[in-house]
Amino acid sequence: MTDRSIRLTRRTALAVGTAALAMPAVVRAQGEPIRLATLTPLTGAGGSYGPTMAKAAATVIEDVNKAGGVLGRRVQLISEDDQTNPEAGVRAARKLIDVDKVSAIMGTWASSVTTAVAPLCWESKTMLCTVSGADSITLLPHQGYLIRTQPNSTLQLTRLGAHVLSLGVKRVFQMIPQTPFTQSSISIMDATLKKGGAEQGSLIYDDKKPTYRTEVDQALRFNPDLIFAAGYTPDSVVLLKDIFRAGFKGKIIGMAYSINQKLIDQIGQAEVVEGVYTFAPSPAQGATAHERVKKIAGNDNPDPYTCQVYDHASMVLMAIAAAKDASGTAIRDNVRKISQGGGKTVDNAVDGIKAITAGEKVDYVGASGPCDFDDKGDIIDCKFRYEQIKANKRTLLKIA
Amino acid sequence: MSGWANYIVFMVATGGFYALLALSLNLIWGGAGMVNLGLAGFFALGAYASALLTVKLGAPILAGLAGALLVGAVGGYVVTMSTTRLRGDYLAIVTLGFAETIRLIANNEIWLTRGSDGVSGIPGPLKAELGSWFNAVYAAGMIGIVALVWFGLRRLDQSPYGRALRAVREDQQVAQVAGKRILRFKVEAFAISAAVAGLAGALYGHFNSYVAPDIFQPLITVYIFLAVAAGGVGRVSGAVLGAYLVVFFLESTRFAAAAIPGLSPVQHAAIREMLVGLALILVLRVRPQGILPERIPPAPRPASVT
Repeated sequence: MTDRSIRLTRRTALAVGTAALAMPAVVRAQGEPIRLATLTPLTGAGGSYGPTMAKAAATVIEDVNKAGGVLGRRVQLISEDDQTNPEAGVRAARKLIDVDKVSAIMGTWASSVTTAVAPLCWESKTMLCTVSGADSITLLPHQGYLIRTQPNSTLQLTRLGAHVLSLGVKRVFQMIPQTPFTQSSISIMDATLKKGGAEQGSLIYDDKKPTYRTEVDQALRFNPDLIFAAGYTPDSVVLLKDIFRAGFKGKIIGMAYSINQKLIDQIGQAEVVEGVYTFAPSPAQGATAHERVKKIAGNDNPDPYTCQVYDHASMVLMAIAAAKDASGTAIRDNVRKISQGGGKTVDNAVDGIKAITAGEKVDYVGASGPCDFDDKGDIIDCKFRYEQIKANKRTLLKIA
Repeated sequence: MSGWANYIVFMVATGGFYALLALSLNLIWGGAGMVNLGLAGFFALGAYASALLTVKLGAPILAGLAGALLVGAVGGYVVTMSTTRLRGDYLAIVTLGFAETIRLIANNEIWLTRGSDGVSGIPGPLKAELGSWFNAVYAAGMIGIVALVWFGLRRLDQSPYGRALRAVREDQQVAQVAGKRILRFKVEAFAISAAVAGLAGALYGHFNSYVAPDIFQPLITVYIFLAVAAGGVGRVSGAVLGAYLVVFFLESTRFAAAAIPGLSPVQHAAIREMLVGLALILVLRVRPQGILPERIPPAPRPASVT
């Protein structure tokens, strides 16, 4: 008995001590909380990306709350599921806007969901930060209430085309499923390759087929030096196997969001993926924010969407601090003041808010890149990461 | 209008689209006994018809709605005429294929449908004038339209035509022997049902200002089957009740799942999906006839023969 009562006392003392230590932060961060939301695909086709994306935003907000919140207020994150479906996404967004009264929605993934949710956001003056890539999204009449951290197709493919040319190939065959960026992917690649004196053939496939033998046959008839496999992970697994079985000896390149470790594990046969090149938008080498996201995601190669949502949450919080106001309009008007235009370089929201409160100008450099936006809400420039698979491992070629 | 009130009227309007789809399914599944797994396809036909008429050709919204009804009906006619010999599971598979075909066409025929970008900027009736009251007025309009369609289909259901349709459902050979032209009944019922689904699609597009192939995944068909099964197959009022219950259920599980502490967002999402599955099982297990079971009015007594 005595033993037990002693232990209890110790535990109570510990609890009281911890509470006392935490007191100042808790006391400082009071009042009505600032509400932000993630709307990521937790189920459906995007379900493999959404959970870590939501976690990245939650971690940023947790860190900021620990450091005392923003404007002396706590930040509360509400995460909803868009079910990778525009109809369900709109219902979730309505709830976030009307019931939770959030000032920003972050992380919409599928282009169709973003396009469906965007009007709700600009009509209710809510900021929308997205990772969708379709060129049409930033052309919507969004009045500034939309920014995206994903480089648009034009920027990505011009760079990819230049890289393909630098590999010294003359005949390229692009195999791509029907997506919002399919047409631009084919036409931009075409233009870039032509300028460099190379040729492109292309084929649009159905991403739910169990085999791509006829598609691969058609590709090989073009006699390509390089096949550009531009699908998502599940269809790329099948496609790469079929390309290997067909005895293709040329080079293969794909997007790193689909040619990832998961794909390598699923294929489970080193010869199939040996020498495959991958390509992804990337932060500058050694960017500190990227190191943090690695820890959040729990692996060495966090997907670009997780990095981007980390940046969304950080930028929204810093914009609120800079505006001294937590409304969606305040975020819209201030997000470019903290993300670009020189000042103290910061890589996370806690340091950024501290510097802003101290009256300093900051320039956020995030986990996904420099995060500088043009008037339409597109990022102006970013680095790309070029890798090659060697013995089932992705090895870095260059970041440029 | 904002806050909770706006959220609720938005869901009332959304419930209206579900109710129209449920009425459509109830007519064809409950009435004529034809399983239509292609509901999302007819929903898409109407949505695209009205969206393209108003956005690309600048037609007024009413013309868009009329176009949606027409395209839906024609679609229904084509599907029944090409499947006249199919019943039960076989018809179900073909209609499912039809819906996927429509979605693939919407995805790939970019010159017409703008592909997977979808059609955005679809005009809403009096949207500028109504401002923040748009959702409320639209929801009221949806209730009116649902009531109108409910009234019409109920009349149809209780008329001799409805009885003949049920005879086709129960045993088409017997109906044929009794002198009913079963193909005509089936085609007409399917066309009306598809037109109602098309109308739902058009109204959905004008409300949300955006349609895209992703919206018309089989998911929505599953929700409507759940609605009709829960409300009561073959009962017109049951379909409307079931549709509103499904929307209420889908939305309330958001709050219910979020109330469980210590779970990650993805676990909340999984719980919601499990609850939907559980609801379906419970309905089929506990009340297979639905909340409002079908009522078959007794046939009128023949005039006494003297």
